[in-house]
Amino acid sequence: MTARNPATAPAHPGWHRATGLALAACTLVWAVLVWNAPLDSVQGVVQKILYVHPPCAFAAYLGFFVTAAAGALYLWQGDPRWDRLALSSAEVGVLFCTLMLLTGPIWAKATWGRWWSWDLRLTLTLLLYLIYIAYLLLRSFTEGSERTARFASVYGIAGAAIIPLNYFAIDMAGGRSIHPENLQRGSLGAGMAAPFAMAAVTVIVAYFALLFRRMEVADLREALARREAEAADARGEATSWDT
Amino acid sequence: MRVFAAVLWKDLLTEWRSRDRVVAMAVFAVLVVVTLYLAAPPGPVAAARTHLSGLLWVTIVFAAVLGLGRAFALELENEALSGLALAPADRGWIFLGKATASFLLLGVVQVLASAVFALAFDVDLRPIALPYGLVAALGGLGLCSIGTLFSAMAVRTSYREVLLPILMLPLMVPVLLGAVHATAALLEDGNLPAGPLRLLVVSDVVYLIVSFLGFESVLDE
Amino acid sequence: MSEAGSPAIVARGLCRRFGALTALRPLDIEVPRGAALAVLGPNGAGKSTLLRLLAGLLRPSGGELYVGSAGNDRVARRREVGLIGHATFLYPTLTARENLLLAGRLYGLRDGGVRADRLLPELGLAGAGARRAGTFSRGMAQRLSIARALMHDPSLLLLDEPFTGLDPRGAELLGRRLLGLREAGRTLLLVSHDLSRAAALADRALVLARGHACALAAAATASPEALSEAYRSAVSRLEGASA
Repeated sequence: MTARNPATAPAHPGWHRATGLALAACTLVWAVLVWNAPLDSVQGVVQKILYVHPPCAFAAYLGFFVTAAAGALYLWQGDPRWDRLALSSAEVGVLFCTLMLLTGPIWAKATWGRWWSWDLRLTLTLLLYLIYIAYLLLRSFTEGSERTARFASVYGIAGAAIIPLNYFAIDMAGGRSIHPENLQRGSLGAGMAAPFAMAAVTVIVAYFALLFRRMEVADLREALARREAEAADARGEATSWDT
Repeated sequence: MRVFAAVLWKDLLTEWRSRDRVVAMAVFAVLVVVTLYLAAPPGPVAAARTHLSGLLWVTIVFAAVLGLGRAFALELENEALSGLALAPADRGWIFLGKATASFLLLGVVQVLASAVFALAFDVDLRPIALPYGLVAALGGLGLCSIGTLFSAMAVRTSYREVLLPILMLPLMVPVLLGAVHATAALLEDGNLPAGPLRLLVVSDVVYLIVSFLGFESVLDE
Repeated sequence: MSEAGSPAIVARGLCRRFGALTALRPLDIEVPRGAALAVLGPNGAGKSTLLRLLAGLLRPSGGELYVGSAGNDRVARRREVGLIGHATFLYPTLTARENLLLAGRLYGLRDGGVRADRLLPELGLAGAGARRAGTFSRGMAQRLSIARALMHDPSLLLLDEPFTGLDPRGAELLGRRLLGLREAGRTLLLVSHDLSRAAALADRALVLARGHACALAAAATASPEALSEAYRSAVSRLEGASA
């Protein structure tokens, strides 16, 4: 009587192999390129954080964007799969955001002598991190999977709408940008383009690899919950509500 | 539309009967001002102006969070919120009613807090009263719109008092910075700067849209 | 006396899920105008879910629901329905009359004051209009919440365990009042644990267990023992159907 419910079927294992292999390959190429990349005359080895820190930003922001979009789709269609995607993306995204906040100060200390500075990009990253944390806390403090999904979706959308405003706000407030500008302008030094591009690709692949795995965990949990509910039903126990 | 008026009337009437929210917010605001002064008495330097406006707005934000946290607490008693949800109308109007009530209450507290602040830090707000009032209103609007939305969420969770500021504060930055810089400029030379003002207005519009639309999903089961 | 005309409630395939749990399995019922339906069942059966679906508080996960003259539209449905639950929906710091006026405004009534002044004495609260609702006893509060539900003159009244917490005399009075409402032509739907009281008021019954429903095939005039027996066998049949 348990029809196969597409909402709980785990993602195709083919995706896992593909992304896992891609990730391994990318990481290898990335490592080789980074190892062989020229040493910056001024900053020395620490400069190679360039191949870790800014690329993580791509994944961190991508993660939140996916979370918000999945939340919107959940509100529109009511399919719990979207909510599982939102949660998975948030957890993976916050990971990359954490990496950013860890690698940033390492580089900052080596270069500017301070662990932290309130410049535009670092502050924005910190705010994104806090929004991620707030999102995850909201999810864990709310009871009932349906209500949690709704609240989280609304918060995700609110966050996505307001993050651009944060940029303008801190920019206006004169966040002294002692962040190296040339990195963002694309005028990388000679020999740095390839490893940087590779790093960006690797990070994006890593994001998707982790995302698919996290999704599978979420799907399995959902299938387990469903099966437990049905088993309790069949055993004759009063089913307690998931509220 | 009448649901908006009904909820607003009900909130204000309830508040008038007990006055507990307004009093709590006001007392808290005064305490924060005093604490801030004692913790860091300002030096005689003009550079302190930005800091001053920052301190003032921190006070207001904290008082707002306190008041907004209480906005839905009453509705839980007797499940009154469900009573509102039964009304045959868009839930967005309930949101507007509650947000407006909070806005008005916060306005009262803002007046008091600003006055106390002016006294404590020896600042004369009278010459800039009107533009400051505009900035205060825009700031309060931003706080109350998003705050009402998140308060409705937080009230249904555990740790509701702690969760509301966690949800609100990272998303309050545009309004906070806009208000702080506008106020600082006003204190500096009495002029209302375009940049912060624009930021405030744009943020308020975004907040209102997000909150109005999001409230339906929050209240709806 | 039931009027001819469109039925009060028509549900086709109405169901509701909360995450992994199905609180109400697809339900088809038709309740004629002026009838009184008792909804019976053990805890966690889905009775409150059904009630809240009918009241327009919950969104159905599937199926269609028509109440009175409202189409399959929740907002219109809320206009047709009055809900009396174990929660009173009253604001303790407002007076009785103010609570009624608020309800009037929420439902867009122009003559709220007039209706309030008519309903208060009808429900035995004549002198208490100016007293704060927080000072009311349980019985008075319930009467006020009934008045509140009647303000917008709904064709369908939903009652969720209204006899809970009432002393025998209060329950007696409530029973008579409900009969009066029925005689005035309103359709009643009563959820109750109290089999005998439900039987006294209703002319048909629906039994719910674990989200499954079936009509109770026993005459309203049956003896209490026969009624209990029919109820118990219905419940065990439904619970068995979950396997």
